[in-house]
Amino acid sequence: MATEYDTGQTPETVDMMLNMGPQHPATHGVFRMVLAVDGERVVDLVPHIGYLHRGSEKLMENETYAQVITLFDRLDYVSNFNNELAFVRAVEKLMDLEPPERAMYIRVILCELNRVASHLLFAGTYALDIGAMTPVMYTFRERERIQNLFESVSGARMMHNYIRIGGIKEELPDDFVHRTRKLIDELRRGVEETDKLLTFNEVFLARTRGVGMIDAATAISCGLTGPGLRASGSTYDVRKDDPYEIYDRLDYDVPIGEYGDSWDRYWLRIQECYQSLRMIDQCLDQLEPGPIMPQMRRIARPPKGEAYAHCENPRGDIGVFVVSDGTNKPYRVKVRPPSFCNLVALRQMVQGSYIADAVVVLGSLDIVLGEVDR
Amino acid sequence: MTELTAVTFSEVSVIAAALTALLTGLSIIVLSLVWIERKFLGRIQGRVGPTRVGPFGLLQPVADGIKLLFKEDASPAWANKGIFWAAPLLIFIPSFVLWITIPFSNDWVVRNLELGLFYFIAFSVLSIVGLVLAGWASASKYAVLGGLRSAAQLVSYEIPLIMAILVVVMVAGSMNIVAVVSNQESVPYIAIMPLGFALFMLAGIAEVGRTPFDIYFAESEVVGGPFVEYSGAHWAVFFLAEYINTFLIAVMAALLFLGGWSWPFGDLPSLAGLALFMGKTYLVVVFIFWLRGTYPRLRIDQLMSIGWKVLLPLSFANILIAAFQLFYGWPSWTLTLMSLGVLAVPVYFQIRVQRQPAMERARMYAERAIAHRARRPIAETGAVARTVTVKEPSA
Amino acid sequence: MEQQPPQPNDSAQEKTLGFPPTPEAGGKVPPRPARRPPHEEEAPTEVLNERGQATAAALGRVVGSRASSSGGRDDIPWVLVMPDHLFEVLSLMKEHPETKMDMLHLLFAVDYLDHLQLIYILASLSLNQKAMVKVDLPVAGDDAQATVDSAVALWEAAGWYERETHDLFGVRFEGNPDMSPLLLYEGFEGFPGRKSFPFNEYTEY
Repeated sequence: MATEYDTGQTPETVDMMLNMGPQHPATHGVFRMVLAVDGERVVDLVPHIGYLHRGSEKLMENETYAQVITLFDRLDYVSNFNNELAFVRAVEKLMDLEPPERAMYIRVILCELNRVASHLLFAGTYALDIGAMTPVMYTFRERERIQNLFESVSGARMMHNYIRIGGIKEELPDDFVHRTRKLIDELRRGVEETDKLLTFNEVFLARTRGVGMIDAATAISCGLTGPGLRASGSTYDVRKDDPYEIYDRLDYDVPIGEYGDSWDRYWLRIQECYQSLRMIDQCLDQLEPGPIMPQMRRIARPPKGEAYAHCENPRGDIGVFVVSDGTNKPYRVKVRPPSFCNLVALRQMVQGSYIADAVVVLGSLDIVLGEVDR
Repeated sequence: MTELTAVTFSEVSVIAAALTALLTGLSIIVLSLVWIERKFLGRIQGRVGPTRVGPFGLLQPVADGIKLLFKEDASPAWANKGIFWAAPLLIFIPSFVLWITIPFSNDWVVRNLELGLFYFIAFSVLSIVGLVLAGWASASKYAVLGGLRSAAQLVSYEIPLIMAILVVVMVAGSMNIVAVVSNQESVPYIAIMPLGFALFMLAGIAEVGRTPFDIYFAESEVVGGPFVEYSGAHWAVFFLAEYINTFLIAVMAALLFLGGWSWPFGDLPSLAGLALFMGKTYLVVVFIFWLRGTYPRLRIDQLMSIGWKVLLPLSFANILIAAFQLFYGWPSWTLTLMSLGVLAVPVYFQIRVQRQPAMERARMYAERAIAHRARRPIAETGAVARTVTVKEPSA
Repeated sequence: MEQQPPQPNDSAQEKTLGFPPTPEAGGKVPPRPARRPPHEEEAPTEVLNERGQATAAALGRVVGSRASSSGGRDDIPWVLVMPDHLFEVLSLMKEHPETKMDMLHLLFAVDYLDHLQLIYILASLSLNQKAMVKVDLPVAGDDAQATVDSAVALWEAAGWYERETHDLFGVRFEGNPDMSPLLLYEGFEGFPGRKSFPFNEYTEY
C-alpha cells in the first residue's frame, strides 16, 4: 500500500519526491525520509518511522521490574547505562529508595563513560556521512577501549543490565579504578586526535556550518533537548537544572553553541566528551568503599502509584513514567525517547537546504532508531 | 585512400598485439592500484588492509574481480536495456582509447600522434556522455540525480584542465607528448609553472571523481549515483574505468609536469627510464589516495563554485603569464616567478584565514553561510515552502 | 491486590507451556486474567517536596477551578481536568507568566480498563519547573475511540505524540493536520497499547 503525497500543486510543476528509504547508508538505521525536491533544494520533508517498533512498552507490562531493565538497554542501544538509570530512578522514586553513595558514584562513572562512547560513535559516523572515512576508524578504536572496560564491569560490551533498582548488580572489579584512570588519559588523546583531524577542517566547516540552523524558541516548541537544543543557545541540561545522583557534587561545564547549526551540535558533543572525562576523574577521586545495594527484596514490588524521572542521555532528555499497581510487574511504562522528539525538529532544519544537507543535518541530530521506534 | 589500402596485414597485427598488450598491462596496473589504495588507506585508518588472499593480500584485487564477474548482472525492470548495457562501455572505451598516444618511453608508444594532447582532451570528454546515459537509463531518481551532477561537475572542471594543458603546449611548442617530455630533459615543467601543476592536479582529481570531489557517486548521499543499479560485470567495468582514469591523470601529470622518463643528470637506458617514470606516476597516485583518506566530500554547489570562481580565473592568469613570457622572450625562471606570484595570491588569503584562532574562523564561516543562504532563499529558486501532506488511506 | 497466577487448564494443554498454541488444544492459548488497575482512592504515597509545592501553588492559581483533583510526587504536581477544558488549560499553562510551560515534554495515555487517561507532562525551561495535566477519557473496550482537541497549535512536538497515542490507544485528536500512523503500518487493525489487545493470542496472518 503506497503512501500518496499531496504536494498542493497543479500538475504542471511537480516536485520530485526523493525517497531516502529505510535502506540507506546514511540514515543511521531503518528510517525513511521522503524529500520533496525542486532541483537540488529540499522543499519539504516527511519522515516515516516505525520500522523498528518492537512494542517495548507493551512488553514491559509483562515482565518484572528487573526484567524491564534489559528492555531499556535495548532502547537506545548505544548508551545503555543512561537508559537503565532513567528507569531505575523512576522505580526508586516510587519505592522511596535512596541508593547507597558508592552505587551512585559508580552509576555516574559508567554513565559518563557511556556518554563518551556514544559521542565517539556519533563523531565517527558523522564524519563518514560527510565523506571522511578515517575518523570512524579512530573513534571506534577508542570505543573499543571503553567497551573492554564495560566488559570487565558487567560482563557485556553493550547490553549491560548492570544498574539495578536500589543500586548496582555487583561490585566493581579490583583493578577498575586504576584501569579507568589510564583509560581517561588514553581517551583524552583519542578524542583530541579526532578533534584535530575534523573539527576545524576547511571542508568539514564548509559542509556543516550554517546547515540545519534552528533557533532556541522553535527548538523548544519541537521538544528538542540535549546537544541539539544547547547548540541553539539554551542552557537546558538535566544534570544542572534537575541534578540527580551525585551530579551536584561535581564541577563541570556545559558547552553551549551559538548558531544552532550542525557544526555547533558536533562541536558541542566533542566538548561534552572532555567534560565527561573531567567528571569521571572527580568521581574516581571521591569514590569511597561501601555497600552497593540496600537491603531489599530481590524482586521489587513498588507500592501503588506513579512516578516520573528523567536523565540526560547523550541524545537528550530521556524520561520514564512508571505506573505501578502494587505487583511485581509495572502497570504502564512510558519512555520519552530523546531521539523521537529530536526528529520532530528535522523538518524545520532541512527545509530550504540541499539534498546533501539533509544527510548532514540528520547525522548531526544523532538519532538512534531503537529509541525512536521502541 | 591509397594509404588505407597500403596497410599491410603485418602492420595491423602489430597494432592489434600492441593494443592487447596495452589492455593487459592496464589491467595489471589497475590491480596494483587497487592493492595500493586498500593497503595505503588501511594504514592511514590504523588498520592493515587485506592480508589473506595471496602474500600481503596481493591477489585481493584479483579475487574482487573474479567475484564481480560471477555476480548476477541485474538491471531494473523499467531500465532502457540497450542504453543500460551500453553505458559502461561508453565510459570505458574513451578511457582506454586515450592510452594509444601515451608514451612510456621515447619509443614505447602505440601511436605517437602529432596532436597527442589535443586527442587526449577531445576523447577524455566523451566519458561524460556515458555517465549521464548510465544515470538516465537506470530508471532511478538517485541515478538521474547522480548523472546530472556528474555532468555538471565534469564539464565544469574540463575547462581548467584544458587550460592547464594549453599552457604546457604553449611552453613546449608542440602537442606531441614525446616532444613535451623531451623538452623537460633539463628542467621539469613543475619548476617552470607550479601554478599549472596545481591547476592540473585539482582539475584532474575532480575529473576522475576522487574525494573530495566524489559527491556525484557518494555512498551516503546518492547511494552510488549513476552506478547505483549496476552490479556484476558492468560494475567491474565502471570500477576499471575509474582506476584507469586515476592512473591516466597521474601519468599525464608525470609526463607533462614531472618530466616523464627524463633524468636531468644524465641519460638513462630505456628500462630505468620506464622505472623512473612509473615511480613518478605512482607518487602522484599515492598523493591522490592520500587525499581520499583525509578529506570529507565537498557539496556539489561548493565544488562548482571552486571550479568556476577559483580555478577558472587562475587558469586565465596562467595563460596570460605564459603568453607574456613567450611573447617577450624572457627566460624560463621569470615564468616560475610569475607563476609562484599568482599562486601566492589565494595561498596568502587562505593562510590569513587559517591563522585566525579556530573559533573565530568557525564563526566567520557561519556568518558567510548565513549570508549565502539569505541571498538565495527558497522562494527565489522557484521552490515555495509548500507543505506536503500524507493522504489518509481510503480505508 | 495480588495478582493470581494463571491456572492451568484440565486439558491436554497442561503438559505443554501453552504457547505456541497447539492444534489439539483447539489452537487457543488460555487467556490471561485481566490485570487490575491501581485504585486511586487508596491512600496516596505521593508527597510533593518544596519545589513541587511551589509549582503546585502556581498551578492552582493558574488553573483554578477547572481542575477536578490534583496531587503530585517529588517536584511534579498534577491536575486532573475535564476533556472540554483541556485546550484552555494547556494554553493557560503555556502563556501564564507563573507557569510559562514552553515545552511539551511528554504526552501519552494510560489504559485504566474503564477509562483512558491522557497525561501531558509540561516543562518550563525558563522557570525550571514541571507539571502534569491529566484528562480522563471514558473509553472502554476494543474499538471505541475518544476525541480530544489537539495541542499542535501550542507546541509542535504534540504532533508526533498525538499520532503515536492515536496509533497505540485510539485517541482521536481534532486539529492535528496529519493523523497517519506513526509507529504502526497502514492497515493495522486494533490498538495495541490497550490492555484489551490480546498479548499472546495476536497473530498477524
